[in-house]
Amino acid sequence: MENVLSILFCLSLFYVSLTLRVKGYIAVLRSQGIILAILLLYPFIYDFSVYGVIIPLTILIIKVFFIPRYINKIILDLDIKRQVEPTIQQMTFLPLVIASMILIFLATHIISLITKIDVIPFASGFSAIVVGIYIMIFRKKLIVHVVGFLIMENGIFLFGTAVASELPMMIELGVLLDVFVVVFLMGIALNKIRSSFEGIEVTQLGRLKD
Amino acid sequence: MNGFFSNTGNILFAAVFAIQFLAIVFTGLKNDRRALYYSNFVLLIGLVSGLFVTLSSKLFFALPTGPQNSLLNNWIRLDGLSFYFLFVIQLAAIPTTLYNFSYLRHYMEKKIGIKNFILFYILTIISTQVIVIANQAVFFLVCWEVMSISAYFCMILEKEKEEVQKGSFYYFAASHVVVFILYIFFFLLHHQTGSWFLSDYHLSFEDGAVISTIFILSFIGFGIKAGFMPFHFWLPQAHPVAPTVMSAFLSGVIIKTGIYGIIRTFLFIKPVPEWSGWLVLIVSMISAVFGVWYALAQHDIKKLLAYHSVENIGIIGIGIGIGFIGSANNLPAVEFLGFGGALLHTLNHAIFKSLLFIGSGIVCQNLDTRNIELMGGLVHRAGYIALFFLIGSVAISGIPPLNGFISEFVIFTGFFSIAGELKNYYPILMLIMVVGLAFVGGLAVACFTKVNAIIFLGSERKEVKHFHTTIYDYLSLGIFAALCIAIGFYPAPFVEIVQRVIAASFNIQPSSTLINMDWFYLSAIFGSIVLGIAALLLVKLWHHKKYGSRVSGAWACGYENLSPRMQYTASSFADEINTISGSILLYNKEIDKSEKPFPTPLKFESHSRDFVDRKLAMPAYGFLKSFISKIGIFNQTDIRYYIAFILIIITIYSLIAFLWT
Repeated sequence: MENVLSILFCLSLFYVSLTLRVKGYIAVLRSQGIILAILLLYPFIYDFSVYGVIIPLTILIIKVFFIPRYINKIILDLDIKRQVEPTIQQMTFLPLVIASMILIFLATHIISLITKIDVIPFASGFSAIVVGIYIMIFRKKLIVHVVGFLIMENGIFLFGTAVASELPMMIELGVLLDVFVVVFLMGIALNKIRSSFEGIEVTQLGRLKD
Repeated sequence: MNGFFSNTGNILFAAVFAIQFLAIVFTGLKNDRRALYYSNFVLLIGLVSGLFVTLSSKLFFALPTGPQNSLLNNWIRLDGLSFYFLFVIQLAAIPTTLYNFSYLRHYMEKKIGIKNFILFYILTIISTQVIVIANQAVFFLVCWEVMSISAYFCMILEKEKEEVQKGSFYYFAASHVVVFILYIFFFLLHHQTGSWFLSDYHLSFEDGAVISTIFILSFIGFGIKAGFMPFHFWLPQAHPVAPTVMSAFLSGVIIKTGIYGIIRTFLFIKPVPEWSGWLVLIVSMISAVFGVWYALAQHDIKKLLAYHSVENIGIIGIGIGIGFIGSANNLPAVEFLGFGGALLHTLNHAIFKSLLFIGSGIVCQNLDTRNIELMGGLVHRAGYIALFFLIGSVAISGIPPLNGFISEFVIFTGFFSIAGELKNYYPILMLIMVVGLAFVGGLAVACFTKVNAIIFLGSERKEVKHFHTTIYDYLSLGIFAALCIAIGFYPAPFVEIVQRVIAASFNIQPSSTLINMDWFYLSAIFGSIVLGIAALLLVKLWHHKKYGSRVSGAWACGYENLSPRMQYTASSFADEINTISGSILLYNKEIDKSEKPFPTPLKFESHSRDFVDRKLAMPAYGFLKSFISKIGIFNQTDIRYYIAFILIIITIYSLIAFLWT
């Protein structure tokens, strides 16, 4: 079950590297949030405990409902164009993603011979981190950077579940807090930037340098 | 659970920190004045109750025995050393917080937002307290980072000034280097022991070169924070630009966390070999001698005090060095004297340095300058401030009746004790060290004679319309001065505390006492000194009554047209001693001599620049900067390039880690 969900997660990464619409990105965020929540909820079907359900439910609320809505609201409020404006061709971006993923899966396989880890969740989480960083590097829009960061966070989460079967409470809360802070900060930043800059493109942030 | 740390103790301890965290809530108030008063008041309550809890712990009444006290899954652990530093921090923070009330009022009049400052001030104080009780390496590092960064945010209160940006950046860069070194330090410790808990680290130098590396790393990392001489260059840059409250706390308390780190590392790796003792001793001696020498050449009062911090850290380090040598040769008595002197001087320095910084802050705020050459005659304006400042000066110079003398006395005794215990060539070496420490004391006296005479005596150089002081100024200075006098005249309880701390944490037999003398005699001698001075004063009064007295302007030796410019200046006072070591102090004078037949206005300037800053740190930084700016790809301003760099670095790191295993 974990492997199936992880592969679904990887598919969502392929979709995100192909689509040109911001809406698609948000849909991917939603689906990834659902996948993560199911992944964490799955063990509790047989062995129910209230304490263990708190974190998956929080993820469900925050990652699936709250954050995508907030991003949608920003897009509507600021009237951002619905295209992602990549800096390289999609046909170059996809092979890059695929090549990195192959490398990561191979490396994970080699690591799994030495230490005990779940290969597929570990590699999927790792790929999500890399894809998140790629999105931040090769996209112009600031709002897309936020999405890239969130995908990276999801990757770290999956990564964490693969390494330790039971995440320490502190780390889980830390991950959630991180996401919260970033989204709010970026939202504020976007609002402020619009008042002084014409568009909302990362290229223009360079002008802020003194 | 044994003794104090039953459940009540835990709850009390948690309550103290909860109260301090509550103070943060009040910084959210709209009104600046209310935010200041409420949050500082709550913080004060937290600190005072914290001091009571610390003092009521078992440590200060009896030697704690049995299992160590730990809380929160062993993340927090309280042993003698932690308690002692907690005591020092809370003791020094209370009067400093009191001074906050009067200091920040000045900024409110200027319409500078102070809420952020209060917030980060509270955070700094809390995190500094947590550092000394943290028992988990990652937790320790997190608190360390919070402390460094919130202190930085406090420093940039007047961020629009260019000198503030420059000076605080020095601090910021130095803190980052420290954290980087500490990461390596803790990773090595973890690698050696396989544990993240500080209480599990028991290593010995026989484990190989890695232990020496750990020791050197801790000495450099914590040494930068503490400000030992080759690494001190951030101190004189950061202290002058920081708000006075922050420079008092920085100098009095935060640099002591470096000392805490070094002593804590010693507890991991004891017994240490003798070379480490000599290393610490020599570096500390250099810090002490040159710290005070640089101080003598400064005109900026806060910079001068910053160099005195370097000097006093040097004196503390000398004590630690003596302790190391004692540990290497298995001499518990020497160890006791060395670490005892160091810990006692840590407490004393926290007290008198905070006093001096706050005193100088009051003067600077009223005169709107930090330059000593523009001050003068302030004893007629604020007599009590002058008195308190004098008490602090006497204490820091190590002159008998006050507290500075007590700790230096213990350290001197340590030297003689080494010379007595280890015969051979040691007496000669120790004699050199004794002369060095005495020389430091002499220069400190010279320096504070200069400071007191120029600032408070003579006639006014700069017009002061109204010297504004508040009750809080007198309160905070008064508490510090009272502590200086109390420790000086009645050292017995404080020596007792230090003795218990060492016996509890360092595992030395309690039978060896700190010094085989009755501290009562010292009190008696000091009492008679004071009585003697009082008798002389009475004789003087009697003389005045009988023969009358004549009053004239200061320095008016028969001149008619008295001018403030006829007085001794700070530069002329210190000129001779500075020219001796001009090449190391980088002391140069610019005299604008006139050759014309008719006199024209003359000019004289003298400067001293920091050797390490000018000749080592800045050239290295400049080289690095020019090297990197030549690589075109590093000059990008776009954030996406930065992210790409991060990705590349992570890839390289993971490749290395991959190949390693």
